[in-house]
Amino acid sequence: MPVLPKYMKLNLDRRIIFILMAIAVIFPLVFKLGLPNKVTPEVKNLFGQMESLNDTSVVLISFDFEASSFPEVQPLANAILMHCFSNNLKVIGISLLAEGTALGEKVLKENAAKYNKVYGKDYVFLGFRPQVTATILALGEDFHKVFPEDYYGGSTADLELTKNIKNYKDISLIISVTDGDIPFSWINYAVARYNKDLAVLATAVMATSFYPFLNSGQIKGLVNGLKGAAEYEILLKKPGMGARGMDAQSMAHLLIVLLVILGNIGYWMERRKK
Amino acid sequence: MRRQIPIVVCFVFGIFMLAQFFVSHPLLTRGYQNVLDWMQIIFVFALLVGALSFLILHLDKISKQQKEWGYNLVALAGLAAMVFLGFFKGIQKDSPFLWVFDNLQVPMQSTMFSLLAFFVASAAYRGFRARNFQSVVLLVAGVLIILGRVPLGEMLHSKIPESATWILNVPSMAARRGILIGIGLGSIATSLRIIVGIERTYLGKG
Repeated sequence: MPVLPKYMKLNLDRRIIFILMAIAVIFPLVFKLGLPNKVTPEVKNLFGQMESLNDTSVVLISFDFEASSFPEVQPLANAILMHCFSNNLKVIGISLLAEGTALGEKVLKENAAKYNKVYGKDYVFLGFRPQVTATILALGEDFHKVFPEDYYGGSTADLELTKNIKNYKDISLIISVTDGDIPFSWINYAVARYNKDLAVLATAVMATSFYPFLNSGQIKGLVNGLKGAAEYEILLKKPGMGARGMDAQSMAHLLIVLLVILGNIGYWMERRKK
Repeated sequence: MRRQIPIVVCFVFGIFMLAQFFVSHPLLTRGYQNVLDWMQIIFVFALLVGALSFLILHLDKISKQQKEWGYNLVALAGLAAMVFLGFFKGIQKDSPFLWVFDNLQVPMQSTMFSLLAFFVASAAYRGFRARNFQSVVLLVAGVLIILGRVPLGEMLHSKIPESATWILNVPSMAARRGILIGIGLGSIATSLRIIVGIERTYLGKG
């Protein structure tokens, strides 16, 4: 019987795996690999839809994520905001999760500053409202009743961008940047009841849940995790956090596959031995 | 009476919400808009109940000095600190509240989430075994998705991303659709049972 080398035994110390994973993630972040990425049709569709909007179009971006997933969601939010601001679209930011409020405001302001956008005219941030269902439904009835003030306490009836917004009819596209299941509520209430166009930018772990809605046409575009962000950056011709993160993710995925293969070789050799 | 009144309230509002969805009458629309306001008001009270419950639970554990009660103390201290900072120092930019959020909560939560990469790698090594036919199918699908969702998959073979997309769009989507349709039908049935008062578990034991 062959004697199994130590690395093929099932009890490979997990600390070795952790060190390998750390190297697989850190190395591509330090030394850029520049792996080629292919743009998927769902991302292309959303990009095309965004391109079809003009400078009078108002986009409602809902920052529906929490701090835990910020590293994955931030490139998604950056990509869509860069597209909005480079095409001179008007942006209204809100959040349906309390934690998304500060983070959403930060991302929105950073991107607006890059394009010299004016607060109140080109973009506004309205902050957080509790109770997802009631907020989404109420926005379809009376926008100013849900958000009488913006995040900073200014009246939305006075801000140039929001003073003429009555309900979803005055909004061209809703975009939910999310790490959870809030897009289900957007689909159930804003899309089904008010027939509004919705796009979803979700973490990879959640994105698979939304493919049936993309296929049925209930959502107009889906950007799937870090890979989706990298694809969007390709279309924008502005490689950023998404592209850099994809190299690290590629190496991490490769390591996982290698570990699975190694584990199975060890498993089969032990089985033969028995 | 304690049980009948909630059942009647539930029936009236259930039928009202159904009616307003299908009938476009100004009276129903106005009523619907009022209900939306009430929902938000009720939710705020639910938040207060949640905070109170959190407080009672942790105070109880501290007073009984249950195992690792120090963590309960930390949780309460965190709550008290954020409430104090939020109410007395404000939540505007450059406030201590936002500083704590940006420099403590965000990095800590991101770290917790990032640890998944390490545990997934370790778990995949130990648990992803080709023990029988079903596990081989799962293993192959998993590997194809893992590789197909990153540029490296495309570099290895152009069929890998195609296969990953097929898995997502055909078998995975079929299963998800089945689940979603099941959830939808189940929700309708349960809603009807609640509206007509057959399903009463939401009332509790009282």
